[in-house]
Amino acid sequence: MSTQAGTGAITATAPLRGTPGLGARILRRIRGIARRSPTLAVGAAILLAFAAMALFHPWLMPRDPIAANPTLTLQPPSVEFWFGTDQNGMDVFSRVIYGAIYGFGIAIPAVMVGLSVGVPVGLYTGYRGGMIDEVVMRVFDSFRVFPSIILALAVVSAAGPSLLNVVMVIGLLDSPIFARVVRAEVLALRNGTYVEAAVAAGNPTRRILFVHLLPNAIQGAMAQTAVRAAWAVRISATLAFLGIGIQPPTPEWGAMIRQGAEFMVSGEWWVAVFPGIALILMTLGLNMLGDGLQDLLDPRRKAATR
Amino acid sequence: MSVGRFLVRRLLLVLPLLLGVLFFTFMLVRLSGQDPTAKIAGPTATAAEIELVRAQLGLDQPLFTQFLIYLGRVVQADLGRSWVSQQPVLQDVLERVPVTLELLLWGVGIGALVGIPVGLRAAFRPDGAFDQISRFVSLLGFSTPTYWLGLVMLLVFFYLLDLAPPGMGRLSLMLSPPPRITGSYLIDGVIAGDLEAAHSAFAQLVLPVLCIAIISAAPIIKQTRAITLEVLASDYIRYARAQGLEPAMIRRMALRNAATPVVTFLGTELTGLVGTTALIEYVFAWGGLGQWGLNAIITGDFAAVQGYVLALALFSVIVFLLVDLAVLLLEPRAGTRA
Repeated sequence: MSTQAGTGAITATAPLRGTPGLGARILRRIRGIARRSPTLAVGAAILLAFAAMALFHPWLMPRDPIAANPTLTLQPPSVEFWFGTDQNGMDVFSRVIYGAIYGFGIAIPAVMVGLSVGVPVGLYTGYRGGMIDEVVMRVFDSFRVFPSIILALAVVSAAGPSLLNVVMVIGLLDSPIFARVVRAEVLALRNGTYVEAAVAAGNPTRRILFVHLLPNAIQGAMAQTAVRAAWAVRISATLAFLGIGIQPPTPEWGAMIRQGAEFMVSGEWWVAVFPGIALILMTLGLNMLGDGLQDLLDPRRKAATR
Repeated sequence: MSVGRFLVRRLLLVLPLLLGVLFFTFMLVRLSGQDPTAKIAGPTATAAEIELVRAQLGLDQPLFTQFLIYLGRVVQADLGRSWVSQQPVLQDVLERVPVTLELLLWGVGIGALVGIPVGLRAAFRPDGAFDQISRFVSLLGFSTPTYWLGLVMLLVFFYLLDLAPPGMGRLSLMLSPPPRITGSYLIDGVIAGDLEAAHSAFAQLVLPVLCIAIISAAPIIKQTRAITLEVLASDYIRYARAQGLEPAMIRRMALRNAATPVVTFLGTELTGLVGTTALIEYVFAWGGLGQWGLNAIITGDFAAVQGYVLALALFSVIVFLLVDLAVLLLEPRAGTRA
C-alpha cells in the first residue's frame, strides 16, 4: 500500500503526453495529491472557503457586523437574518463571516513567530549539541508539566491581553515543537558528507545552518504548521471566550460564544451555536490539512500510519 | 534495580524541575508589570500605607532576594493569601483538588474505556470503514472547543430535553452537601447513606463528565491506533505471522506490547486535560480547582495564580511518576534501562 503511493502515479504519466500547459500540469498535480490524500483535499477545500470569507467579506456580509439595533435583539434565524441576531441586535451571520479574519489574522502570524523562533533554535542546538542542547531541551521538557491552555492563559494575562501579545505568546509556546522537529532532522543530517564539505570549505556556522542544513531539515516543521495553526485558532478563541484579549462585541468567534453562553439555557441558541460551528469547521479544516500534509511530506509516517 | 532506588532517583530528578517551575511562576507575576500592592492595600490606601504593604510583601527587595523569600515561604507550605477570597492559597487549593479530580478521573476514565478499544479495532483493520469513521470522529473531537461542547450539552439535555439539571455546581441548590470524607459528593453521599444527595451529585456529574470523555477520547483513539500499528509492523509480529500463529494470538502479543506506550500516553493526556477540565468547570460552575484557577488568572489574583500553576506542575510530576511506576510493572526491562 505504501510502496504504491511512494512511486507517485502523477509524475510517471507526465512525460508520455508531451508537455502540457502550466495550468493543466498544476491541475493534474492537485488531482494527484487529492487522490493520494483525500483528507488533505477536504481540509484544503474547507480552508479555501474560509479564506474566501475573509477576503471577500465586504460583499458576503448582508449587514454591518457591529451595527447595533435595539429594536431587533435576539431574533431567531429567519430569511431576513439567516443566523438570527444577538442581544445587541447585531446580525450573527455577518459576524460569523467577519470572524474568519480573526481566525487567519491570529493563526498565520502566530505560526510565523513559532517558526522564526523554533527553527533557528532547533538548527543550532541540533548542530552544536553538548551543554547548550541539553539545557535547552530540558527547559522545553519542563514546560510540559503545564497544560498548554493554562500556560497560554497565564502568560497572556500576565503580559497584558492585547492582540499582539496573544499572537506572540501562542507563537512562542509553539516554538519548542518546531525546534524539536528541526533538531531531530539536523541530528540525522549533521554528519553528512555535504556538511563536512561545507565545513572544510571554510563556511561560517551561520551559513552552514541556514544555507546547507535548513532546506533539508525544514520539511518536518512545515508539515507541523497546519496543526499548529489549528491550535492557534483554538487557543485564541478560548482566550476570547474567557474574556482575556479580544472583547465582545468584536466579531471574533470565541467572543461571540461568550456573548451567547447565557442564552444557551434560555433557548436563544443561535448566538453561540453558529460561531462555534464556524470555529469547529476552521479548526477541522486545518487539522485535516495538517494530517494530510504530514502523510504526504513524511512517507515513513505513512508507512507506520501515525 | 529495585523500585525504591528507582523512586529515589526520580525524585532527585524532579527537584531541579520544581525549582525551575517555581522560578517560572515567580517571574510570571513579577514581569507582568502589574503591581499587586495597590489591589491588596485597597482603593483608599495612602502612599505610605502602600509602601508598608510593599515592604511586608518584600517587594522593595532586589528581585533575587524576593525569589529567595518566595522560595523560603513555599518550602514552609506558605503560598500566600488570595486577595479575592482573603484565604490562604494553600487551603483554597487543597479544598478544591478532590472536586476537580472527581470530574477529571471520571471523564478520562470513560474516555479511555471507549477510546482504547476503538483505536485498537481501527488499527487491526487499517483503512477499513471502521478506521475511516473513527479517524474522522477523532479529528472532529480534536477540533471541537471544549466550552462550546459544554454549552451545547446544556442546551440539548437541560433546555430542550429536560433530562439534566442546570449547570450550576455539583449539587442541587435544594440539598445540603453530605459530610465531607473524600470531597466527592457522590462518594460521600453513598458513604453517609444520603441517597438523595448522591443521586443529585450523580446527575450533576453526567454532562461535564460526558464532555471530558468526548474531548479526551479523540487523542486516545488516534494514539492507540498509531501505537498499535507500529507494534503490528514490528519484526517480532511479522515473525509470529510467518510462524502461522493464529490472529487472536498475534493480537494478544500486540496488545501486550502496545500497553506500555499507551499508558505513557495516557499520563501526558491526563496532565493536558487539566486545562480542558478547567474550561468545563468554568461552563458548569463546578467550583473546583480549574474554575478557581481560571478566575484567579482572569482577575489577576497573583498569589492564587502562582499557587494554581504550582499545583498543576505538581500534579503533572505525580502523574509522570505514577506512569513510570506503572511502566516498571508492565515492562521489567524498563527498570534495567533507567
